[in-house]
Amino acid sequence: MLQIKNLHAEVDGKQILNGLTLSVGAGEIHAIMGPNGAGKSTLGYVLGGRPGYEVTEGSVRFLSVRHAGLDPASTFSSGGGEERWTPDQVRGDEDGEWIDLLEMEPDERAAAGIFLGFQYPVEIPGVSNVQFLRTAINAQRRARGEAELSAGDFLRMARAQGEALGVSMDMLKRPVNVGFSGGEKKRNEMVQMGLIDPRLAVLDETDSGLDIDALRVVGDGINRIMRKADKAVLLITHYQRLLDTVEPDHVHVLAGGRIVRSGGPELAHELEREGYGAIAG
Amino acid sequence: MEEAGVRNQEAQDAVDRASTYEWGFSSDIEQEFAPKGLNEDTVRYISAKKNEPEWMLEWRLKAYRAWLTMEEVSWAKLDIPAIDFQDAYYYAEPKAKPKLGSLDEVDPEILRVYAKLGIPIEEQKVLAGVEGARKVAVDAVFDSVSVATTFRKELEAAGVIFRSISEAIREYPDLVRKYLGSVVPQRDNYFACLNAAVFSDGTFVYIPEGVRCPMELSTYFRINAENTGQFERTLIVADKGSYVSYLEGCTAPMRDENQLHAAVVELYAHDDAEIKYSTVQNWYPGDAEGKGGIYNFVTKRAMCAGARSKVSWTQVETGSAITWKYPSCILKGEGSVGEFYSVALTNNRQQADTGTKMVHIGKNSRSTIVSKGISAGRSNNTYRGLVRVNAGAENVRNFTQCDSLLLGDQCGAHTVPYIEVKNPSAQIEHEATTSKISDDQMFYAMSRGLNAEDAVALIVNGFAKEVLQQLPMEFAVEAQKLLGISLEGSVG
Amino acid sequence: MTLLELPSARDESWRWSDLSSLPAIAGRQPAGTVPEALPWIDCGGEGPRLLFVDGKLAAEQSNLGSVELGTVTADPADHALARLVGSDGWKLRLGRDHAPTGLVQIVHVSTGGADHLPSEIELDVDAQASVVETYMGDGWINRLAHIRLLKGARLMLSRRVIGEGGYVSLSDRASVGEGASITVTTLAAGRADTRLDGRVVLAGEAAFAEVGGALLASGKQRHDANLVIRHEQRSGMSRQVWRSVADDAAICSVAARVEVARAAQKTDGEQSLKGLLLNRGATINAKPELEIFADDVKCAHGATVGELDRNALFYLASRGVPRDEAKALLTQAFVADAIDRIGEAAVREAFHQDAMAWLGASS
Repeated sequence: MLQIKNLHAEVDGKQILNGLTLSVGAGEIHAIMGPNGAGKSTLGYVLGGRPGYEVTEGSVRFLSVRHAGLDPASTFSSGGGEERWTPDQVRGDEDGEWIDLLEMEPDERAAAGIFLGFQYPVEIPGVSNVQFLRTAINAQRRARGEAELSAGDFLRMARAQGEALGVSMDMLKRPVNVGFSGGEKKRNEMVQMGLIDPRLAVLDETDSGLDIDALRVVGDGINRIMRKADKAVLLITHYQRLLDTVEPDHVHVLAGGRIVRSGGPELAHELEREGYGAIAG
Repeated sequence: MEEAGVRNQEAQDAVDRASTYEWGFSSDIEQEFAPKGLNEDTVRYISAKKNEPEWMLEWRLKAYRAWLTMEEVSWAKLDIPAIDFQDAYYYAEPKAKPKLGSLDEVDPEILRVYAKLGIPIEEQKVLAGVEGARKVAVDAVFDSVSVATTFRKELEAAGVIFRSISEAIREYPDLVRKYLGSVVPQRDNYFACLNAAVFSDGTFVYIPEGVRCPMELSTYFRINAENTGQFERTLIVADKGSYVSYLEGCTAPMRDENQLHAAVVELYAHDDAEIKYSTVQNWYPGDAEGKGGIYNFVTKRAMCAGARSKVSWTQVETGSAITWKYPSCILKGEGSVGEFYSVALTNNRQQADTGTKMVHIGKNSRSTIVSKGISAGRSNNTYRGLVRVNAGAENVRNFTQCDSLLLGDQCGAHTVPYIEVKNPSAQIEHEATTSKISDDQMFYAMSRGLNAEDAVALIVNGFAKEVLQQLPMEFAVEAQKLLGISLEGSVG
Repeated sequence: MTLLELPSARDESWRWSDLSSLPAIAGRQPAGTVPEALPWIDCGGEGPRLLFVDGKLAAEQSNLGSVELGTVTADPADHALARLVGSDGWKLRLGRDHAPTGLVQIVHVSTGGADHLPSEIELDVDAQASVVETYMGDGWINRLAHIRLLKGARLMLSRRVIGEGGYVSLSDRASVGEGASITVTTLAAGRADTRLDGRVVLAGEAAFAEVGGALLASGKQRHDANLVIRHEQRSGMSRQVWRSVADDAAICSVAARVEVARAAQKTDGEQSLKGLLLNRGATINAKPELEIFADDVKCAHGATVGELDRNALFYLASRGVPRDEAKALLTQAFVADAIDRIGEAAVREAFHQDAMAWLGASS
C-alpha cells in the first residue's frame, strides 16, 4: 500500500535521505533499523509532511481506499466484537486509488489513513487530550464524507482505548502531553492511534523511553490495533527489543540515507549480535 | 524592618567599606582653559585648537544651534539636579597628571585596590600619576621600548586605522565625514547634540574588508592617550567581513574633576562584519552621601547595516553617581544580530538607569539581551529596554533576561521593558526575576569555608557569570575582581 | 459637554493610546433604542440586576437588591477620563460576614454619545460578592470604580466589553485589606476600542490580587490596558495574566506594573503577558514593569509575543485537523488561559462563549 521510490530529502540544506526505496504491502509489518543520523526520523517526518523537510527527488505513493466507517471499537480482540470488513478491504492492495502522498498536506494524509507516531510527542497546553482527539477524528471523518462521532460515543471509545493502554480517563482530560513522562507520552500516542484507527502507522522510535512493562503494553497495543490484513506498520526503531513483542515480517537497515540491506526477522537478531557497523558497512 | 537589616548586614558592611575612596593628591596643574561657559565662540575655540578643517567646524556649529532649541529629558527614574551648563569649562588642554614622586606618595588604600585588581606595579604608576612613569610604564608593561611602535606596525600592516578622533579628522577626513553622525544624528537627544558641538577627544577605528583585527584595541593603548575627556566621541567602522574587539575603560577607579560626561559612540558594521565592544567602567561614585560623583550620560548605538552583521555590547558598570546609557542596535541588515550583556552594580546613593534598544528592521534578525543588576546601599538600579519589531521584519527572534539581585532592604531594582511588535512571525521572549542572597546560600558557602565577604563575592559573581563570560579574557578577570572588591569589606 | 483635555502620547502612560475619536463620539446624540435581548447570565440565584442605558438606570428592567444609587466617593486622581464621571452612581456596600446575595449583574448599554458613571464597592470584614459588568452599544462609556475590601473580604469582578463599536474606558482604584482578595477579569471581545486603567493596592498583610484578562482586537480596533498592582505590606500575592490577540490592523497594548514597597517583604508577584499576532498589519505592545524596593521577594515576570507554536500546529495536522481549525483550537486555548481565572462557572462559560464567538468571526 506504500511505494517509496528513490526518495531524496534535505533538512536545513543538508541532504539526509539519499535514494531510499521501499515497498510496504497490506498486512505487513516492516521494521526500519539503523544507526543514529541515518535518517530514520527524517523518513517519518517526510512521510508525515512536516514543514522544513524538503523532498528533492523521488516519489511516495499511497494506496487510498474507502475506509467504510470501520468502527474502532471492533478492533478489540477481547471477545464479542464483530470484525466488519467489506470485501474491498479484505483484498487490500488490489482495490483503491494510488495517490501522490507528497502533494498532500499533513491533515490530508491523516484523513487518507496515515498515522505518524512521534518520537517526541508535542505538549499542547490548554487543549485536553479528549478535545484534541475528538476534533481530529471528526475532522478526518468530515474529510472522508463520514458521519461525525457524538460526544457520548467518543468518550466511550476513548475510555476503552485508554484502559487497554493503561491511560486513565483522568489523564485523557488533561492537556495534551503536559506533565506526562516519556513513557506516558508514548502510551498516549497509542491511545490516539487506537481511536483514529489508521491504515498505515509510521512509528518513530516508539520504544524509546519505555521500561519493560510499558514496552509490553505498547507492543500489545500495536499488535491489537494494527495487525490486520488491510493495515500496515512501518516501525522505525533503534533497538531490537520492541520487535520481540511486535514481530516484523521484514527488517531493513537504513544507513547513509538509504536502505542498505533487507531481510526477514532474523536480520534484527543479527544486528543485535554484530552491531550496525558490521552490517551497514 | 529590623530583621531584614540584620540579615544582610554582612553584605551591607562589605559593600560600604570598599565603596569609599580617599584620594590625597596634591596637584600642580598648569592648564589652558577656554573661557568658562558655552557659546558659539567656545565651539570655534575648540575647533581651532584642534586644527580642524572648515567642514568640521560647520558640523559642530550646526549641532550647537540645534542644541539651543532642545529640551532636556527628565523621564528616567533619576533625580538629576539641574545642570548649569554655563558653569563649566568646555575645553582644557590635556591635563598633565598630578605629579607624584613615587608610589609611596599614593594613598595606600588605592594601592591596595590596584594590587587586588592585579594591576602591575608599573601600570599603577601610570594611573596614579607618578612622575616620569608614563614612558617607562608602557615599556615595562610591554617588554620593550619599541613595543608601542611594533604594535602600531602590526595594525598598519593589517590596514587597520586606529587613531584619536582629532587625528583621524585631519588624516582621513573623507572616511570620517562619511560615517560621523550617521548612526547617532546630531539631533538624536540632548546630550548627543551637546557632544556633537563640543567633543574634544575620542577614538576612530576603521577595519578594512576581510580583515580580522590582530589584537584587541583599547583606549589604553592609544599612544597619545589624553585624559578621558568629558565629551568623547568614538566612531568604529567595520567593513565587509571584518572583525574587531574594542575595550573601553579600565577597572581602576577613575576620578575626574569634570562631573558631566556626555559621550557618543557610533558603530557601523557592513555585510558579515562583527564588532565586539566591551566596557568596564568604575567611575568615582561620589561619597557615601552621593556628593561629588560623576554624571555619566552616554549615547551608544550600532548600525548593523550589512547582511549578517553582528554587534555585541558588553558592559560592567560600577560607580558613577548617575548613569544614563542605552547601548543600542539598529538591526537593518538581513540576518543581522545584536547582543547586549550588562552587569550594573550600584551602591550608596548611586542611580543607574541603563538598558538597551534593539530595533528590528531586517528579516531574520536576532537579538539577545542579558541584564544583571546588583543593588546595594540606598541605590536605585533600573533596566530600561526597548525591543521593537517593524512590520516588514520577518522571522525575528529576541530573547531578554533581566535579573536583579538586591543586597539589603534599602535599595531598589526596577525593570521597565517596552516590547512593540508589528510582525506576526516574530518570536519575542522576555523574562525577569528578582532575588536576594538567601541566608541558606550564605550559610552553605560559609559552611564550606568561605568567609562572608568571599561568600558574597562568589555568589555575586555566579549571578553575573553569564555576562562576565562575554568579556575578553583580561577584562573578564579584572571585572570579576572588581565586583568582588566593590563588595568586600571587613567582617568582624 | 466639557472640553476634553486629552493627554498626548508623549506622556508615558498614554504612550500607546489614541483618544482622537472621543470628541466625535461624545458629540453624537443617543438613539435611545435598547436591544431586546440583553446578555443576562443564567446562574440560578436571584441576584441584583441593573440595566443602565446611556448612564441612567432603567428601573423597570432592573432589580436593585442590595445595590443602591446615590452619591459615590470615587477619586479620579488626575486621570484625564475618570475626571469626568461626577459623583452620582451606584454602590454596593456589604456589612460584616455578608454572604453572597447571588451574582450582581450590571449591563451598560450606550445608544450614542458619551455617558460617565462612578461606582463604589465596599465590602466589610469577611464579606463576599461577585459582580459581572457587561458593556455594549456604540457610544463612549466612561466608568470609574472605587473598591475597598476590609479584612478577609472577597470580591470577584468580571467585565466584558462586547459592544459593536464606540469606546469603553474603565478606571479602577482598589484597596485590598489584610487577608482580603480581589480577582478582576476583563474580556474585550466586541468591536469597541478600550482603555483600561487599574490601580490595586494591597494595603494589608497577606492580601491577594489577581488582575487579568483577554484583549481581542480586529479591524482597526485598539485595546489599551494600563495596570498597577502595588504591594504595601508583607506577604502579599499578586498575579497578572493578560492574553492579547491582534488581527488585521489592530493594536493591543498592555502595560502592567508590580510595585513593591520597602515594607512589603515576602511578596510573591507574578506577571505573564502574552500576545498573538494574526496579521502583519497588527501590533502588540507589552510593558511588564517591576519597581522593587524590598529584597525578600519573589517577583517574576514574563512576556512573550509570537505566533502559534509550529510544532503544535504540525502535531494537530498530523492527526487530521485542517490548518484553520488547528489555528482556531490553539488560539482558543491561548485566550482561555486568561478567562479560566473566573471562579463562577456560569460567568466563566459565558465569557468563553463570547471569546469563541469573536475568534470564530475573525478567522
